[in-house]
Order: sequence, then C-alpha cells, then structure tokens
Amino acid sequence: MNELDKIPVRQEISVAQGSVKRSNPLANVFDELVRFCQSRSMFMLHYCTGCGAIELPPAMTSRFDMERLGIQPMVTPRQADILLITGYVSVKTLKRIILTYEQMPAPKYVIGICSCTVNGGMYWQSYATAKVLKEYLPVDIYIAGCMPRPEAVISGLRDLMGDIKSGSASNWKRYFQNYDHYLGNQQKLFDEDWQTPTDIIAEAEHYGLITDQTLGEHTALLQKHQQPLEALEFSLGEKREKIRGENQ
Amino acid sequence: MRPENYEAIKQPPSNEFELNFGPNHPGIEGNYAFRVKLNGDEVLSARADAGYLHRGFEKLMEGRLWIQNIALVPRICVPDPVPMEVCYSLAIEELCGLEIPERAQWLRVMQLEMSRLAAHLFAFGGHAATTGMYTPMFWGVADRDLILDRFEELTGGRVYSIYNIPGGVRRDMPDGFLDRLGALLDYLDSRLPDYDSLFFRNQVFIRRARDVGAMTQEQALKWGVTGPNLRATGLAFDVRRDDPYLAYEKIDFDVVTQPGGDALSRNLVRRAELKQSIRILRQVIKHLPSVKGAVRCPIPNPLAWNVPAGETYTRVESSKGELAYYVVSNGGDKPYRVHVRGPSSMHAVQVLEKLAVGSRLEDIAQIMFSLDACPPEVDR
Repeated sequence: MNELDKIPVRQEISVAQGSVKRSNPLANVFDELVRFCQSRSMFMLHYCTGCGAIELPPAMTSRFDMERLGIQPMVTPRQADILLITGYVSVKTLKRIILTYEQMPAPKYVIGICSCTVNGGMYWQSYATAKVLKEYLPVDIYIAGCMPRPEAVISGLRDLMGDIKSGSASNWKRYFQNYDHYLGNQQKLFDEDWQTPTDIIAEAEHYGLITDQTLGEHTALLQKHQQPLEALEFSLGEKREKIRGENQ
Repeated sequence: MRPENYEAIKQPPSNEFELNFGPNHPGIEGNYAFRVKLNGDEVLSARADAGYLHRGFEKLMEGRLWIQNIALVPRICVPDPVPMEVCYSLAIEELCGLEIPERAQWLRVMQLEMSRLAAHLFAFGGHAATTGMYTPMFWGVADRDLILDRFEELTGGRVYSIYNIPGGVRRDMPDGFLDRLGALLDYLDSRLPDYDSLFFRNQVFIRRARDVGAMTQEQALKWGVTGPNLRATGLAFDVRRDDPYLAYEKIDFDVVTQPGGDALSRNLVRRAELKQSIRILRQVIKHLPSVKGAVRCPIPNPLAWNVPAGETYTRVESSKGELAYYVVSNGGDKPYRVHVRGPSSMHAVQVLEKLAVGSRLEDIAQIMFSLDACPPEVDR
C-alpha cells in the first residue's frame, strides 16, 4: 500500500461527516488540521458589488494588509472561498451574485458588508434594490456599518476564520438543504422562469445534503421551465440564425 | 440546469465573437460591464451594460426631506463624495437665498481639495494596476488613507463625511487641525517625485498609455467630456476658474492642460492637479486662521423646512469633471425634482463606447481607468 493511500481523502473528512464510516482513528485530528488550513488560506472573490468596496483596497494594501491573514483577492469564482457582498444589491446585480455563488466550490462563505445587506439600509424605500440578502443566499457573517472601516472588515474576517476553525461555519450547507426556500425567494423577485446554468440539486446529492426542504414546489417550477441555454443575444444573432438554417 | 439539457452554444465560424467584459472582472472599475464585439483581440464595437448599481437616487430624493438628502447624496459617487454634498447644499442655498459665512466657504474649499487629492491618488493607482504595475496602487491607496485620517478628524467619517449642510458646515475644525494638514501636505509633496519616477515617467506606463483612447478637442466637446479629461485635450476649462463658486475667486491656481487627449495625457493632467490641489490647500491653511466668525448661517428648523418654490442649476468641479445639480422645489418640505448631471455618465457610457473601438481588448480597462469613470455615479 502506498503512503499516499493512507491519507484520508477530503470527502471523508469534512463534507460527508456521519454518512461515511470513518475507520481512521486519526480522522478527528485530520479534520482539525484541514479546518485550520482552510481558515488560513482563503481566497476572496474580487467582485465589487456596491459602495463598501471602497474600503477594501485600504484593507488589502499596505496599511491594514489583509494578506497577513492569508486572505487574497481572487479573480474567478471557481477558485474563490469567500464571496463579499459589499453593500446594496440591485436586482440586476443579485442575479449575477447568485450565479457567482452557485459556481463557487463548497465549502464557501458569504459575508454581507454594510447595513444595506442587512435590511436595505439607506435604500429601504428604493424600487431597484433587494433589501434582505439572507433571503436569497445563506450569509455567514454580517459586518454592519455604512460603511464599515477596514478594521471592522478585518475583524469580521477573523470571526469567520474562527468559525471555520471550530467547524461552525457551515451555512453553505443550508443552501443545499433549503434550496426550495431560497429558490422561491429568488423566483419571487426575478420571475418564475428564473434559472441558472448550475445544477444545485445534483450537487446536493453529491454532498449528501438532500433534505425534505431541498425539493418542493419551486424546484418543480424550475424543472418545468428548464430549457437549453440560449446563446447571448448580440448583434451576431442574425448571422447565427442563418447558420442554424443552413445546418437544418 | 440539468446536464441533459445542456447544449453547447454554437458560434459562427468566424474571427468575430462577442464577449461580456465585467461585471465580475478585475480589470473593470467597480460594478460595471461591457459587451464587446471582437475581431481577434481588436475591438469592433463596445456596448456599455450599466445598471448594476442603480438605486434610483433621483426618485429616492423626492421622498425625503431636504435635510435628509444630505446623507443620501454622497453615496452617488463613492471615491469622491464631498463635491456631491457641496453642490447639493449650494443648490438649496441658492433657492433659499442664504448667504453662507466666509469661514464656511473656506472650509468647504478645503474639503473639496482634500477629496480631489484622495480621488486622484486612488485613480492613478487603479490605472497602474491595469498595466500590471501594482506598486503604485499600494502607494496611492496608502497615501490616500492619510487624507482619510484627516477627514475622520475633521468630520467623524472616513469616506462619507456629511459635513456640509445647507447654510455652511456642521462644526468648526478641531484645534491644531491645520498644522496636521500642513504636515500631511508636506509629506504628499515629498512623495510626488517618487510617484513620478515610479509611474508617471515609467517607460512601461508611457508606452502602454500613449495614443490609447485618444480623442480630439472637438470630439471631446461634442461628447460632453469635462474635467481632467477635457483638459487633457488642450482646452483650459475648469469650473473653479470659469464659473467660480465659494472662495475660489480669491485663490491662485493654474488650470493644467495637456495636448495629447490620450490615456497618458489624462494621467499627466491628474498628476499636475495633485500639485495644484496641494497649492490650493496651502493657501487655505494660510488664509483660514484670519477668517473669523460663524461656520454656518441660521437656518429654519430643518425638519420642517419649506424651501421656496423655484428651480436652480448649480455646478462644481469634482475630480471627475463638471458635476451639477438641477433642483426644483414647489415650496414643500421635499424636493419636487432633483437631477444629477454627473461627469461619469458621459465618460463611461458614450465616450468609452467610442474610444474603445479600434483599440485592443486589454486596453479597455486602461481607457476606463484613464477616464476615471465612477460606476455608481453612472447608474445612480
């Protein structure tokens, strides 16, 4: 037997706890080790969704230096661990946020910065913004303030690191466990034919997180409206129609 | 989307293809997007995709008291919030016929120039990052933070100060503030040669930025370009000098121009304006102690303040360009209509769409940062 084979794979350790029989006596030690490593190497998605993003450059650069905590900006959602929602989310942005969130690999964490993500903040009467972020995504940490200082942002990130280390930051599982609830709120806001190109239900199956609340009337609606992805309708549309006609 | 429903999108067999540039993209400033049509990496056409930051400001302001809107307006432009407050206050003062004390005028000039310094320091760092140089960004942001410290001391807020109210400013300066501001200016002045050798005279930057996104003076005037971007085409127009407000008449400063009209010229104009802002602030520091008196004139109870009916158009020079408020009052306690004429809505939409044509894909970010467009102000 190879030495590498003795190291428990990640799925056994952190994701499917309870469902997989754990034969390794050192499994708990590995758990802790893995969680420690996870909490010290987080990639933060570089997506400035609102005005709170103005306090991130000071927090990331020389003066406050987030990087000493192992937190770095990352440009693609596929490699990011943290989604920072910096401020108000307009309905148009919320669609992109949900799409981004669903593309991120688990375990993933959402931090809502600024008062606007908590309850709408200054824009409580605006027609264009989604008021309460946690209706659409499971939020791990809120950092209140308008806008929170870089120290507050770093303090919130340290809280998240503590939660990850102790294993209590598991809100990402709730998205899979209560997918029907979140999807329902999304459909209420966007439209009933709202869909993203990710397959959350299959992912929930993969993680063993299917519960009674995962599937329901809203996911049924999702199945009903599901269509193949449409190509983005640009000015090339006519050309494409022509090619389609030729192919047929 | 279930995998069985997935069908690969067929693109026509051609070099031409369309790309979504943003909103989740490190090369774009803020939450903003473009749909660009490319031939290889050459941009054939670009279409701005705004609205990600739309909050409906102009509608929100109609539903709030005149004084409540003071807290709302700085949120329109996040990197440079002070001109928003000042311009809105000036509009109300004009409608009410209020004459603000001289000391408040000088305090406002001081804030405006501090805000301009902060915004310009932030802007050139962003441009440097798009050309692959991250050190100027670190330097710019760190030095901007020192200005924010002074803002915090003066007003209590780092970014949104909400220090101006109709009729003046909220309170006077703390003791010894001008000395500390003077020390900061000395420090910033000593940093300028460092910025030059690191960025503004760096061949990497000059060769990347020269002739990128160039426009002529006629085009700039036709497209509604204002501010440093217009001055970079050789036209010395500055609201501070040509339509003076507050105490700018008594202040001596140069309106800097550059002939090129390209990304390089726009950055050099900003670099020269850093120097001019420091010069203006030094004059403020010299002059302010001799101006005694109140910092605001008496105003009616702000919670039941019926501004006289009328309409006005006030403008100031923000760090991005000409910023104006068109305010209509029907004599009530809330504005009847407020329109914000922001400089970025011209720069980031119609100007950028035209300048991007013919450039290469990697230059779009450079053009956007050199125009210093501010997406929250585009969408409002």
